[in-house]
Amino acid sequence: MRTISLKVNGIAKEIAVEDNELLINVLREKLGVTSVKAACWRGECGLCTVLLDGIPVKSCMTLAVEADGKEVITAEGLYSDERAKKLMESFVKHGAMQCGFCTPAFVVTSHYVLSKNPDIDGEELKKELNGVICRCGTYYQIYEAVKDAEKYYKKEKV
Amino acid sequence: MSFTTPYFTLPKFVYFKPKNIEEALIMLKQHKGRAKVMAGGIMLVNLMKERQIFPEYVIDLKNIDELKKINVTENGIEIGSMVTAIELQNSKLIKEKCPALAKAASFMGDRTLQHTVTIGGNISVGMPSTDGLPALMSMDSVLEVRSSEGKRFLPSSELVLGIGRTSLKEDEIITKIIVPNDEKVMGTYLKFINASEVAIATVAVTVHHEKKKLALSVGAIAPRPYYFDNSSLQWNWEGSVAENIKRASDVVYKAVQPMSDAVAGAEYRKEMSKILTARALKEVFGGA
Repeated sequence: MRTISLKVNGIAKEIAVEDNELLINVLREKLGVTSVKAACWRGECGLCTVLLDGIPVKSCMTLAVEADGKEVITAEGLYSDERAKKLMESFVKHGAMQCGFCTPAFVVTSHYVLSKNPDIDGEELKKELNGVICRCGTYYQIYEAVKDAEKYYKKEKV
Repeated sequence: MSFTTPYFTLPKFVYFKPKNIEEALIMLKQHKGRAKVMAGGIMLVNLMKERQIFPEYVIDLKNIDELKKINVTENGIEIGSMVTAIELQNSKLIKEKCPALAKAASFMGDRTLQHTVTIGGNISVGMPSTDGLPALMSMDSVLEVRSSEGKRFLPSSELVLGIGRTSLKEDEIITKIIVPNDEKVMGTYLKFINASEVAIATVAVTVHHEKKKLALSVGAIAPRPYYFDNSSLQWNWEGSVAENIKRASDVVYKAVQPMSDAVAGAEYRKEMSKILTARALKEVFGGA
């Protein structure tokens, strides 16, 4: 057991973890952050994607101790970001989900992509989002939703 | 399914995060044979989840900044082993001088994982499906390998011995990849995958037009990638490109002896090696 300090969605936490604990288990079981979904457990589906110091990582492939001293942002934490809020509304507007299980991961990933490059388009955008799988196959709607939300990220930039 | 079954948990180990290479090498020597080095960690975590390996100690290199640099020195271009796949794709220098590697990096896992995956980790697991190694072999790169006793230089073609077996000793770490710094380098990397995105065959090509030097590496078809150069491909720089490509792909077809496994049969892999070789050479040389 060791104690790690973690900033989760803006709130600093001190948590006791085992060296072999996965970040996803700490987030879901110990901190109750349930927008981080667990599905494949082997880094393929991307539903456990979180932003670790601003960079998307798959939390089922990350040790909790690796995140010591870092900041974790999940879909819950993005709700306080005006741009990300618009992005989420865009997902709803375009019906970019069927069961909704992959939506938090897509929101987190597309937030990262858009804040880096709000002019991204076409194949480039599809490639940037290929780390997350939607089993319902709503990729077209997700693409439309993200494209539509680009304007909010551009405004922020100017 | 409970949360104690494999995949949800990892076997017990003690985690270290050294701040410099020296510290990491001393830890590795202290716990020789019982420790595993963690680079990006994707493969390591996966193997531990599958209960294929049970390291008592995990030594994470993510805090070592000197391993994350790309430098140009008189030896050539020195790429730190902890440089991530995203950094390789975004680096102007790598795109210009090591085009095959920049392209290979875009195939290392999906876009999210590419933020985590490192070039050192990708090649040192010893998996036939590595994207980095064929690219590095086509560039005639040399690996700087360090242990607490000192360092040695290992040609990238001599790294992998078999599936999951490398010539790295238990207390050694790849610290740098040294690529010759040449002008006017062209190259590409092609990957042919099955429906679950597992490599059936990969081909990396690097051409130095000024030096009239060509190197090609075929990966994923056998435990070790195959290496071909000017002479083994019977490349004639004065002859027509189309004829050369036909001859070279026939050479590759005859030379390779692929493995058969759940991903693809040997004959299919052999055929795809030939086709990918021709496609890659066409892409680099242009023409028919």
